[in-house]
Amino acid sequence: MKKIIELTLPSSLGCEKVAIASAASVGKKMGLSQDRIEDLKTAVGEACINAIEHGNKGKKDAQVVVVFKEEQEKLEISVKDQGPGVDPKAVETPSIDKKMKPGSKQRGWGVFLIKNLTDEVEFCSSKKGGEVKMIIKIQRDGE
Amino acid sequence: MYQDVIVTVEKRGNKAVVNLEGDITTFAEESITKAVQSALSDCKSIVLNFEGVEYINSSGIAILISLVTEMMKKGGKLLVANLTPHYQKIFKMVGLSQYTTVFNNLEEALAAQD
Repeated sequence: MKKIIELTLPSSLGCEKVAIASAASVGKKMGLSQDRIEDLKTAVGEACINAIEHGNKGKKDAQVVVVFKEEQEKLEISVKDQGPGVDPKAVETPSIDKKMKPGSKQRGWGVFLIKNLTDEVEFCSSKKGGEVKMIIKIQRDGE
Repeated sequence: MYQDVIVTVEKRGNKAVVNLEGDITTFAEESITKAVQSALSDCKSIVLNFEGVEYINSSGIAILISLVTEMMKKGGKLLVANLTPHYQKIFKMVGLSQYTTVFNNLEEALAAQD
């Protein structure tokens, strides 16, 4: 049976740290290596920041919902907002060389980090809002 | 919920050490940038000491890219000490390690030749 933990967070920068703390606890309980727990924390934090900044666009009354689903061989994390969702094709892969050029914006690393720190990622959208689904496969310490 | 960043600067030999404590997020930009600019007026080699840092988010990464860009323009050199293994990995992932020299601790960074 799946174990599910659901958090509802205010859409305010800094609140992602609650989701990060929960991710650390869930990852530890599932037996993830410390290295993978750190990856999970960063991916969850960045997904929440994107939901707050780009999904809910700073709307104070909006919410971010984070769901951790524990399964036998994987941890599935969903981060939902009330925005239009992310079109992954529209998100350019960032390059530090480009970002160091005059006039460039240095930000824009969130989706890149999420993609590189999780095993699978999917961006969805519906009338209810945007959602990022991330999967971390379970490779327990010592395996 | 962020931990405010506390930035202190100290001169160690021919290097300036910028000690960071707290969360490196968008709210830390002004403090870090001011401290590095002030340190650069005195030294060309700056060591960013992350000993008191547990959280760096993507906005923090952007601040560091901006610092590296500024330092390169001014002929400065950025050294980094005491990053956790996870953030050392993130530095490699985003490419920051191409433009900074990463040391495991402050002593190693201070011992490095200019």
